[in-house]
Amino acid sequence: MPQRHIVYLHREHPGDMAQLPEYVKAGGYNGLMKALADMEPDDVLYQLHRSGVRGRGGAGFPMGRKASFLPKDSPRPAYVVCNADESEPGTFKDREIMEFNPFQLLEGIVLAGYAIGSNHGYIYIRGEYEHQARVLDRAIAQAYEGGYLGSGLLRSRFDFDITLYRGAGAYICGEETGLLDSLEGKRGQPRLKPPFPAVAGLYASPTLINNVETLTTVPVIVAKGADWYATLGTEKSTGTKVFSVSGHVMKPGNYEIVMGDTSLRELLYDICGGFRPGHDFKACWIGGSSVPVLTAEHVDTRLDYESCETAGTYLGSAGCIVMDDSGCIVRSSLRLAHFYRHESCGKCTPCREGTMWMEKVLQRIVDGEGRMEDLELLESIMGRISGRVLCALADGAVAPIESALRLFRDDFVHAVEHGSPAREPMAPMGA
Amino acid sequence: MSDYAPVNLSAPDQIEFELNRRRLAAPAGTMLVDAAYAHGVEVPVFCYEPRLGGPIGACRMCLVHVEGMRGLQTACSTQVQPDMVVRSDTDEVRDAHDGVLELLLANHPLDCPVCDKGGECPLQDRTFKFGPGKTQFVEHKRHFPKPLDLSSLIALDRERCITCFRCVRFSQEVAEDGHLIMRERGGDSEIATFTGDHYTGRFTGNVIDLCPVGALTSVPYRFVARPWDIKNTPSVCGHCPVGCNLELTEHEGHVARVTGRPNPNYSVEEGWLCDKARFAYPEDRAPDRVRQPLIRDAAATREVAIEEAVEAAALLLGRDGPHAFLLGPGATVEEGFLAQELASGPCRGALVAQLGLGDAPALAGLRAAPAAQLDDIDRADLVVLVGGDPANQQPVVELRIRKAVRGGGRLVSAGPRRHPLSGLGPSYITPPGRLLDGVRAAGPAFRAARRPLVLWDEADLAHEPAAAAELAGLLGATRGARQLELGADVNGAGLSALGIPGAADLVAALEQGTITTLLTIHAQPAESAGAARWAEALGRVGAVVALASHGGGIADSAAVVLPAATHREQEGVYVSMAKRAQRLRPGAAPPGGAAPGWELLIALAHRLGAAPAYRSPAATFAAAAAARPALAGLSYDVIGELGALLHAAPPATTNGAVGGGGADGTGLPLVTTLRIFGDAAAHRSDALSGVRQGAEVVLGAGEAERRGLAGAAQVRLQSPHGACTLPLRVDPRCPDGAVHATLGVPGAGVERLLAVDRSPVRVEVTAA
Ligand SMILES: Cc1cc2nc3c(=O)[nH]c(=O)nc-3n(C[C@H](O)[C@H](O)[C@H](O)COP(=O)(O)O)c2cc1C
Ligand code: SF4
Ligand code: SF4
Ligand code: SF4
Ligand code: FES
Repeated sequence: MPQRHIVYLHREHPGDMAQLPEYVKAGGYNGLMKALADMEPDDVLYQLHRSGVRGRGGAGFPMGRKASFLPKDSPRPAYVVCNADESEPGTFKDREIMEFNPFQLLEGIVLAGYAIGSNHGYIYIRGEYEHQARVLDRAIAQAYEGGYLGSGLLRSRFDFDITLYRGAGAYICGEETGLLDSLEGKRGQPRLKPPFPAVAGLYASPTLINNVETLTTVPVIVAKGADWYATLGTEKSTGTKVFSVSGHVMKPGNYEIVMGDTSLRELLYDICGGFRPGHDFKACWIGGSSVPVLTAEHVDTRLDYESCETAGTYLGSAGCIVMDDSGCIVRSSLRLAHFYRHESCGKCTPCREGTMWMEKVLQRIVDGEGRMEDLELLESIMGRISGRVLCALADGAVAPIESALRLFRDDFVHAVEHGSPAREPMAPMGA
Repeated sequence: MSDYAPVNLSAPDQIEFELNRRRLAAPAGTMLVDAAYAHGVEVPVFCYEPRLGGPIGACRMCLVHVEGMRGLQTACSTQVQPDMVVRSDTDEVRDAHDGVLELLLANHPLDCPVCDKGGECPLQDRTFKFGPGKTQFVEHKRHFPKPLDLSSLIALDRERCITCFRCVRFSQEVAEDGHLIMRERGGDSEIATFTGDHYTGRFTGNVIDLCPVGALTSVPYRFVARPWDIKNTPSVCGHCPVGCNLELTEHEGHVARVTGRPNPNYSVEEGWLCDKARFAYPEDRAPDRVRQPLIRDAAATREVAIEEAVEAAALLLGRDGPHAFLLGPGATVEEGFLAQELASGPCRGALVAQLGLGDAPALAGLRAAPAAQLDDIDRADLVVLVGGDPANQQPVVELRIRKAVRGGGRLVSAGPRRHPLSGLGPSYITPPGRLLDGVRAAGPAFRAARRPLVLWDEADLAHEPAAAAELAGLLGATRGARQLELGADVNGAGLSALGIPGAADLVAALEQGTITTLLTIHAQPAESAGAARWAEALGRVGAVVALASHGGGIADSAAVVLPAATHREQEGVYVSMAKRAQRLRPGAAPPGGAAPGWELLIALAHRLGAAPAYRSPAATFAAAAAARPALAGLSYDVIGELGALLHAAPPATTNGAVGGGGADGTGLPLVTTLRIFGDAAAHRSDALSGVRQGAEVVLGAGEAERRGLAGAAQVRLQSPHGACTLPLRVDPRCPDGAVHATLGVPGAGVERLLAVDRSPVRVEVTAA
């Protein structure tokens, strides 16, 4: 099954694309040059619209539409914010872009800025990505030196600056408004919406916030045209998408594929080399951990937004976590509950208290101290969380566990009766 | 506390909507929770507190169903829209309320029986009304060692905290002190201070009122009473002329707590109080409280029955005059009027004066300009602060100024001292006598402003006629400009409305030795401006009768002491600096043989054979309102819960002494400062012992150097009127060209440096 490299251009190119000359040699900055020479900002905006590219951070909102929400007549400056917090479990695609193809991201940010009339971009990178932050830092310096950033860049009359900001290790700072508060120097907690960032984002100014992968797509769309881009993928899922595959497959890793072309089965068995001998697929969280789990029944689902929804889940960030039949769904649910409890910012009641409660109940079940009514209790707690919270973190906490409880009920009943003791840690897998 | 914002249901532009199948209306922009509450439907809230800024949607308690919207909506952040159809009574909404409460209680210790909040706790009340009868939670709850001292005034029980962020938002966004934070995250979130030190400030106690659970409780009130053993009475504050509305809690016969009003007065304090007002009440039971009537002669001091003391006082005042009556700044309108009545009846010819500044001719022009109320500050696009230090002298005004600046208004200040608000905008520090320069510097800002508001300090401007005239001119020349006086004396405006002048003539008469008997009413002349002269003059009076609540000063030497109620214990009217007449209501009865001043003065009139026709404070006030044009139209009923404005100006008095003129003496001009926790009330209240402030002399670094005082620990200040010795602090940020000293601290004696009319002085500063 072919992979197609649009954001992972470095895989197509022999040189070190984290060096400016190599990136330029590979055709880098063609998009920006074209835009500055021949296109009005609105033309760029229109191309984004027409390309159909959807946000790669998780929610899949069309980028062009979001960019067009920014008021044109605001007296305040507009900002581009690149969400490089990449903390969704199982998701490690942005990391590769930033490490190996940083200039395409920088070019994408500048283009987005040009489209919305902004002169300043911020990259909010997760604290643990120390090496990637250094690479970006160097790339930004080279871009300034080469005239690809700064005032009058590429001898045009357009000015653009990029500031790199390192987070401090909180999942919630990937949520766009939590990110903005953190970027402003406050405690990272989601804001009440509306107002949406497009209207009042960073420093209460119009702000376009997009994921690394989304922004890295922009130079290609501008250079090759939206119509070309839209020929890739399906009607509602255009372009390519990077899947970060982890877990019980022989060849975990990042794979960029054209949307809709490939099924989950092909991704796991053909591209990722299938499972260990004697083991087979049991479950998969296809869009990071914050989505409903898929069972073997859905292994032929095609990899695009709409097919995933038909299968009862979401494409999300495409951080595809795979588990074979050696895994325990109850323990996994406990692990996830632990994650969300630990990462809940604590601002709203149902999430703060509910994730804690879910973890406690699951812990008891795993420890063999569960009661049969605990399964209804879990459902009741989750029913009191979902749809009643301030941000999507808590809905993301409920989705995988609620679906696991529904689709793997027998496993939970077994755990209530017998517990689910820890197993021997497994040897590392993969090629 | 207030919880819901007031809604004006008779404003124009009402929007019609439907709530629980009822067709209702509310003004555009009203939040659903407020609109519902105004129509008698309680949508429960915890984090919502409109006084803290916009909604944050944290607690999720207020979920309602809005037709056409996906999922439930937070009614605290959803504005009414035309024809919106809202339900707060569906099964889904009930389940949401029940669910949020069950989750809030999962980790809540439920130690209500030992919790100070128990019985007046929104979490209890709302659980009862909207919550689960029963929890499904069987796990171990979160535990913290408890309680912690958040400060010497506030206890923090982290287990009880429901993470509503109200206290943090108050600290960050209202007081803007930045101290309180939420530390850690998720279920580990806990309230803490940024530095790890105590939460200190001028307004910290408000977080106790704001906290919807027993997580933040008052240290001095801790375990004192249960809500069914107390009585709450709405009254007003008697600690400064802002006149904040508050509530007094009575327990076992005394005031045991002071809180903000559950229904704030949005034109005055908006429900906030300063910490002095909240924690000064223990002064009512301080060791030096006068509890019994005293008669003193050369041989001894005797405690006597009240009848005997009044008899003795009447005997002294029945002698041939002239007599003199001196009112302290905290005397009520009724007490002032009764003194005047004595002077026009049985003690005909007696001089009546107040220790307050009274009527200063220099201020007439300013006072005649269009007047503002405190809530007008919020809406000003320019606030010009001339003189003063509201943060320390009229504390709650600070919160209004901060709110104006948060809302985009500009602050420009000019005056002789640096103060906590100086940093909020351009600030011109001028030496005493040169305030005109500061006013001129602020002048250009007026031209750009559309709704400028001038806050001017009575005490500072009384002696700066040129600055006052310039400012009055600016006010007159700027359309839409208004002014608000920062008064110096608690009820100075009320006593002036009666026509009671300052004490210049009275002290002169005392000095001439012509006064037979001096009656002081809540007055401590020897601790007021001109203390040295007062002490001398008091030595020449025939006899003193002191109506006083506390000992010390005049009460320790008076021939007769009539033990008086404090402002927390008596009925009466105070007029605020914004000329708002408001009612004091007794929170508790005075202790021992003490009695309200009005009652003692009426008894005295009886004994003097001139029984007035009235026997109650209400009737006394009615008589005053009938007799004094400045109080025309007012009565207790008209004043009601929220006060009423005086419409007529106070009469001009013969208080000619206050005015311009250069400073007396040689040396450096003296700038007096006041500190919020530096006055007698703060020093008497044991609750405030942890924050109470002393007196000091402050010099700029250059000035200290020039005078060879850089290393001095103590300095002596000498003016033409008197001297005192105080610790010296050299502050590089203090402007040179003046010496600063703290007024009002008991025993410090800075008052001795001043003239009785508080006119400017120069002092010699020497090492001591
Ligand atoms: C709890 C939570 C964590 C998130 N973390 C990330 C993240 O790490 N990176 C990211 O790009 N988007 C993240 N998102 C999604 C962002 O809120 C936002 O939708 C995204 O940055 C928009 O960019 P896009 O439209 O390009 O996807 C997160 C959302 C939630 C609710
Ligand atoms: S859902 Fe969780 S993470 Fe999101 S705001 Fe509420 S507490 Fe914070
Ligand atoms: S201490 Fe009280 S006011 Fe502060 S967050 Fe907790 S519950 Fe709210
Ligand atoms: S500001 Fe003045 S009136 Fe208000 S509470 Fe403080 S001392 Fe009392
Ligand atoms: S009151 Fe509406 S969310 Fe807290």
